[in-house]
Amino acid sequence: MADRHTSTDAHKLNVYQELLSPSELFEARSRSHKIPVRGQKDFLPDGSEKQTARLQQSLDEHWTLLAEERVERLGNLVKAVWTPEERLVELQSPAGKFWQTMGFSERGKQYLRPEEALYLMECGNVQVFYRDLPLSIQEGYERFLSSETVTLHQYQVFGHLKRLGYVVNRFDPSSVPSTYERQLNLPASSWDKQRKQLKRKRSQSPVSSDKQSTSPVEKTTPEDQSDELVKSSESPLESADASDRTWWMERDVQPPPPQAQSAAPRWDFSSISFPDLGSRRSRSVCLASPDRSLLPGALEVGDCDVAPWLSRLNMKQEKLSHRDRERQRERDRYRRDVNSDREVRRCRNWVEYFQLLEDRRRRGQKDRPAHLWEREVTPLTQPGQCASHRELLDQISIVKSSSWSEGVSRLSPSDQWQISFDVYQPDTVAEFKKSHPGKPYSRMCVCSFDGPVPDLHAMKLLSFQSNDVPVTFAVVDHGDISFYCFKDFKLPTDVY
Amino acid sequence: MDGDPAEMNISQSSSSSIEVKDDMDTRSESENQPAGDALVDISFCGSTPLLWKVSDMKRCRSVGVTGALVGSLARQPRQNVRLGRPLELLQEEALLLEETSTGVASLHTQDCGDEEMHSEAVRQYEAGLESSYKEQCALALEDKKTVLKKIINEKENATDDSGNVIRDRLNALDQAFRFPWPAMAVQLCTARAGFSHCPEERSFLSTDWPVPRDERLNTRFCVYRDLRNKGFYLTSAGKFGGDFLVYPGDPLRFHAHFIALCISMDEEIPLCDILAIARLGSNVKKTVLLCSPQSRSETGKDESVEGDVVYSSLQWSSMV
Repeated sequence: MADRHTSTDAHKLNVYQELLSPSELFEARSRSHKIPVRGQKDFLPDGSEKQTARLQQSLDEHWTLLAEERVERLGNLVKAVWTPEERLVELQSPAGKFWQTMGFSERGKQYLRPEEALYLMECGNVQVFYRDLPLSIQEGYERFLSSETVTLHQYQVFGHLKRLGYVVNRFDPSSVPSTYERQLNLPASSWDKQRKQLKRKRSQSPVSSDKQSTSPVEKTTPEDQSDELVKSSESPLESADASDRTWWMERDVQPPPPQAQSAAPRWDFSSISFPDLGSRRSRSVCLASPDRSLLPGALEVGDCDVAPWLSRLNMKQEKLSHRDRERQRERDRYRRDVNSDREVRRCRNWVEYFQLLEDRRRRGQKDRPAHLWEREVTPLTQPGQCASHRELLDQISIVKSSSWSEGVSRLSPSDQWQISFDVYQPDTVAEFKKSHPGKPYSRMCVCSFDGPVPDLHAMKLLSFQSNDVPVTFAVVDHGDISFYCFKDFKLPTDVY
Repeated sequence: MDGDPAEMNISQSSSSSIEVKDDMDTRSESENQPAGDALVDISFCGSTPLLWKVSDMKRCRSVGVTGALVGSLARQPRQNVRLGRPLELLQEEALLLEETSTGVASLHTQDCGDEEMHSEAVRQYEAGLESSYKEQCALALEDKKTVLKKIINEKENATDDSGNVIRDRLNALDQAFRFPWPAMAVQLCTARAGFSHCPEERSFLSTDWPVPRDERLNTRFCVYRDLRNKGFYLTSAGKFGGDFLVYPGDPLRFHAHFIALCISMDEEIPLCDILAIARLGSNVKKTVLLCSPQSRSETGKDESVEGDVVYSSLQWSSMV
């Protein structure tokens, strides 16, 4: 019993060794802020006095720097509270300068993400409380870093970049506009609104209309539906899954998406005949009446005489000038109208036409010398088949060059390779707006030397996810971080 | 204190197989001397071993385990040249500490469920703040008085009345001095401060060690242990394409001599890999060591038994 008693007390003494007394705290105001420069290293230990002395000096310096605790004026610290259920840190006193690039507001409160809060704790700007007691940095690491928030390696990369001055945000895949969307040149504000609406996932109350006054009214109803449908996630900025991207399509479908995917009727185009009304030869076409099953109710529709409609079309022959006629004659000298071929006219649809072409091709190949074409090894090309060197090279090439974007949509997402952060350059800090950060400088994917080197599958996936922003790999090796990036490179193939 | 609440918590701890080691004799230690028999607390963040207390780091360095600093330095947090606590350990370093009974895994303290004890802890913390405030107030007052007295002494020789003005201020200081609450200096603790009085749980069971010991880790650990016993200091060498960087002395003062690559005896390596690492070694002026632990003893234990490690070094030579 007595042993345990002393051990707990002694343990407490041990634990409190690093607490500063009030006089030490007071003295800390006049501490130096300079870091001593490290001297040159030696090559071989020779047991000399000089070396030992220098080593001792380096060590003393080392321990002094490490043992120094963070002491801040209470008025300079921003008070915050850690909420483990939401995995967020809520600010309780006004934010400082860091608010320009970090944190977000929601429902009237100011929040910091766990990695941001931990970084600010390490910088001595924020004091985070949990259950009314302040958290130490060790507790911050233990509580804030996990596989659901940010792992230790990811935090190390985050801290490294922040200390260099970059602005680092968590990556949100749904915030990347696809190539098509960029082609359409959607105004940026619609993206932000979408993101803000995604953030409101947790609140069950309808969206207040004053902020969204410019968006159409129809959007509020599916928003309520999507609130219930979208699964409640802990952090509003966790990467939204695919279902979130389709919320704007719910407008057209009243029942919720899982039931709305009834199979659309598949049309059999081979049995549908499209009458040819435009060509000059078919002036006397008469359209048959449509199938009774397609008509509503007891409607009766007879045959349709197309002639009056056709007369409205401008079927006049074009009047060409003399020069145009000359040009056309030159062009048409060797051109054969496809439709003047009797066999082509016999084809009733596209399938038969392709079959005809295939038959002709095969017939054309009948006159190939047997000693070349009937063996195991056949020539790669036929004389007359290619018109230029490049065509020939293209035809005989075995390895076709490809680009990263080929076949990306068929790739399955990977657990191992994920983009963690968006990084913005330090010189943009002055104009940086959290609501509209713009295009990042690069996107970070955190990995380590223990893991595999990213293969082509990973590169394609990541560059697709990131669109036109380059992806940098931050490799964490026991505290040391190295950055690598891969560039898509095309070998020149032109031969002239 | 009889019926120590901390004791009761230990016996009620969720995992019934954790034992607490009571062999500590820590009263004799001072900041500058390495702790005698105190065990180093290795806390895990995921599967990465970390050290938080300076005394632990000193103890480790005295047995040759250097680790790498990965946090912000308190004095200048916004730079990357010199980092601060925590100290990240290699898996092999943590294993060595555990094997030599120098360190032990420290598990995350669970939230103390006892509400009353927690409110008591909060009261104690706030009382501590109050007393710190009062003491700092007194110190600030003394400090201000000293400053004013110094000014008065300097102005002794002056002919104007400024000295008298300051003397009046000094006399009125006891009444007029204001030290507002936000002016107080507080500490942002790096290592766990123990305000909540939750007992620290430690575990000596290998099942509580979060890193599984596979073939690769065993090979690396054998090599690490052998080189460490020969007196070398080792750090990680990912950027050099190897497993460890081997230093003849403390890495603070000496350059590394070798890049150690750990390969098991029966592992096959393609020749181009050997060439690559030999090239790399010659570029950075370090010798490449291929290290292989010898086959295990006849007893066929799962863990690697301490045996010999075979070293081969690579060197470019020219044929004349």
